[in-house]
Amino acid sequence: MTASHEIETRLREVAEGLLGDRKVDLFLGYEKTTLPFRTSPLFLTAPDKANRLVWNPFCTVNLAVYLARLFKAPADAREAQRAPPAPTVGLVLKGCDTRSVVALVQERQVPREKLVLVGVACPGMADTRKAERALGQYEALGAGEDPQGNVRAVIEDGTEVTLRREEILADACLECRSPTPAIHDFLLGEPSEARNADVARRRAVELESQPPGARWARFQEAFSKCIRCNACRQACPMCYCKDCLLDQARPRWIGAGTDFSDVALYHLVRAFHMAGRCTECGACVRACPMGIDVRLLVRRLNLDVEDLYKYRPGTAIDAVPVLSAFAIDDPQEFLTEP
Amino acid sequence: MNEKRVSYTDVDALLDRLREQAAVYAPATDETGDVTLIGPPRRDPVDLEYRNFRLSPKALVLPQNQTLICFRNGEAEEPILPDRETILFGVRPCDARAMRMLDKVFLDGDPCDPYYARRRERTMVMAMACTRPLSSCFCTSVGGGPGDAAGADVLAVPLDTDLLLRAETAKGEALLSSVADLLEAATPAALKEAEERIQAAADQMAPVRVEDSAKRLRDAYDLPVWEAAGQKCLGCGTCSYLCPTCHCFDITDEVCGETVRRVRTWDCCAYALFTRHASGHNPRPMPKERWRQRVMHKFRYAVEHFDSLFCVGCGRCIRNCPASVDVRAVLKEVGA
Amino acid sequence: MARNPYLPYPARIDQAIVENEARDIKTFRLAFVDPKDAAGFQHLPGQFAELSLPGVGEAPFGIASSPTETGHLLFSVKRVGLFTAELHSLEPGTPIGVRGPMGKPFPWDRLDGKNMLIIGGGFAFTTLRAAVKYILDPANRSRFGSVLVIYGARTPGELMYKQDLAEWQAQDDIDVHLTVDEPDKNWTQHKGVVTAVLGGLKPSSQNTLALVCGPPVMIRFTLVSLGNLGFSDDAIILSLEMRMKCGIGKCGRCNIGSKYVCTDGPVFTREELRALPLEY
Repeated sequence: MTASHEIETRLREVAEGLLGDRKVDLFLGYEKTTLPFRTSPLFLTAPDKANRLVWNPFCTVNLAVYLARLFKAPADAREAQRAPPAPTVGLVLKGCDTRSVVALVQERQVPREKLVLVGVACPGMADTRKAERALGQYEALGAGEDPQGNVRAVIEDGTEVTLRREEILADACLECRSPTPAIHDFLLGEPSEARNADVARRRAVELESQPPGARWARFQEAFSKCIRCNACRQACPMCYCKDCLLDQARPRWIGAGTDFSDVALYHLVRAFHMAGRCTECGACVRACPMGIDVRLLVRRLNLDVEDLYKYRPGTAIDAVPVLSAFAIDDPQEFLTEP
Repeated sequence: MNEKRVSYTDVDALLDRLREQAAVYAPATDETGDVTLIGPPRRDPVDLEYRNFRLSPKALVLPQNQTLICFRNGEAEEPILPDRETILFGVRPCDARAMRMLDKVFLDGDPCDPYYARRRERTMVMAMACTRPLSSCFCTSVGGGPGDAAGADVLAVPLDTDLLLRAETAKGEALLSSVADLLEAATPAALKEAEERIQAAADQMAPVRVEDSAKRLRDAYDLPVWEAAGQKCLGCGTCSYLCPTCHCFDITDEVCGETVRRVRTWDCCAYALFTRHASGHNPRPMPKERWRQRVMHKFRYAVEHFDSLFCVGCGRCIRNCPASVDVRAVLKEVGA
Repeated sequence: MARNPYLPYPARIDQAIVENEARDIKTFRLAFVDPKDAAGFQHLPGQFAELSLPGVGEAPFGIASSPTETGHLLFSVKRVGLFTAELHSLEPGTPIGVRGPMGKPFPWDRLDGKNMLIIGGGFAFTTLRAAVKYILDPANRSRFGSVLVIYGARTPGELMYKQDLAEWQAQDDIDVHLTVDEPDKNWTQHKGVVTAVLGGLKPSSQNTLALVCGPPVMIRFTLVSLGNLGFSDDAIILSLEMRMKCGIGKCGRCNIGSKYVCTDGPVFTREELRALPLEY
């Protein structure tokens, strides 16, 4: 496994080069932030600031989420006249992030030719909350990475605690089947195989194998903490609708409160809108302030799409998104007489 | 000297006694392993190992959703407002202080908000001083402190083996009197220990320059810092929903058969729809403008309108922002 | 105990008349169900109220009638969205809720003894109608000096309150100048924008206060003209529109700068507006 700092150095070179040569107008990456166990998205325009870019176990934000707003189509002809030309954007992408970008290209939200994809073969990212929880009642005042990719945290009394990466990996990373960006203009790091290709399926099957009552109880328990903040939706690169169905006032499909009927509908509807589009990056789970496993339902739905239509979003840039297309021999038992 | 103390081993008994007179919300570990305020019907053993709760206690005076009016058969019915007394035990001083700020909006203004007022006047706050602030805490920079009693009826200070308890209001005195048999007088040593712990906590916090924020922000409207922070903002609402002083809300009508409920729900100025007119015109169309509004509202407009900052330095927004935007860093840039 | 400020007063739509040629502006005449509520609703021109339709929601509208027009309230509503579309579809007799009066009115205590210059554009003439009716009421007229009204719309059909305008033009205690961008063959009055008429008339700014309500572009140019005529910033009074919900300074939606448009406004002087960020 290539050491993070090697990747970081190379990344800075690539970004500086792209910006310096005017191959991109904007470079999206990660930078340090005030608290440990976190990075913050960096919108870089000056090549001499490329040394602000970092690469570490907490480069978690899916930067693809910023693309839809960077490439938003003008509302009308007059706005089109006034609008500046779309920028060329370079961005750092892990395996899952790359799939999001590809999926956005598939859905015509961003033009491939305006993107420079700097892929990084990802060993799996750490989850901030897991890391903080692992320290118990201590707080990390600083953190770094050791050569094996583990996280070294310095806690309040000055001592160092090593948090083994496997123990604080994000759930999405534990389930990851695409650690290496399949489509890229640059690839940093050694390509690797998926850690364990079955985890997502096992989790989905485990839930599914329970009787309906238990499944509903699980669903209810998982989402009962939802405060309807919409963070899951806002953090998701695939949720780019200008006016979300679930905010609509006419007709008003759901209320804005925490009545479980509204919470349930919000997540059920979102899950169905994610089926065959979700690239399993885990941005939703990370953004949720209440620690809900937002992917509980989508996990299953995505596998259904894969099983039924042999399709995984974001893996083939020219593929038509499966739920936007119809083939004459698509399975359709549900249409027949029982 | 009216300070009392109770040993940690007796706190559960104290809470049980309080449960005879009010609905008690006390810190306990929930299913996810987090410590949070848990109320009736549960009577979990209290857990005092926490820095702060993920959700602020504002939900108990300003619920995420509440019915304002029920329309049935052409008649408008006001809901019956809750009547029971509530005790919030273990609220951190920052969150207690935040309630005072919410009071300025909902109680002090004319007219007064009856829904908030009813809950608030039946809520007693037993605050718990901090001895171990987080690196994201900055209450001392916004007029508060780890042992600040603003908004508290009783202030508890955790000592080595005991909790020190001090009544801060008449209500707090009455409360402590009602459980006097469970309490002992605090010794001068205990008082000294309390003072020292609170001072040590205060000393740990790195200062943030806020005192002249209103003035600095007046000249800061067009600074590039808003674009830099706003670019990263996902408009996810986490900061506002977790913030103990954020209170903006939406009012919508929910139809269920023949009944219509006019409902108030939490809202957030960082949402794109917040200021969008029916015509489609949006005075704050981009994340940059919305993010600027958030900071301006808390650190300048509130000072000019309510004579108070609307931030208590709890740090929840800093810890939970998915894009790790840190409001302290922005304030620092504004001051530079 | 004070009345619940979120509870609407029950009222009834007595009349709904189409105001304009495009048929998307209607003036609704409302009457309170309980005469005590009617007596208690004391408003001044410039204020607004929230109209409430259960199941649809609420929206704020400037009160188009003067308190001197007793027994009813007038609201002119343009159909733009969810609430207004529903309101437009209602027949007389339909119940409706009213919350108010809300906001600060035009500064009537400052207007005593002053000459009035009233400038309106298009749909924004609603609270100005209330102001003119109030000024012209025999009980009030002597409090004010001369009154000049300049009101413009795109076409003659789009002018509101045509009957009131005709009455005022027949009176000699008020001078009303109407102008349109595109006259029809029967139009005999001014052609052009409001600011052109203003420039032509050159009213004196001496002891005069200007009330200005209109679309943003009209306001922008009118302010320049008024400045050229010698009007100081605190002699120019405007009314702001902002998305609102509670109307009573709690929900935060109409907050601009350190002001809440629902309680500190919607009426602001030019001087006060200058201190606010351009977020409206």
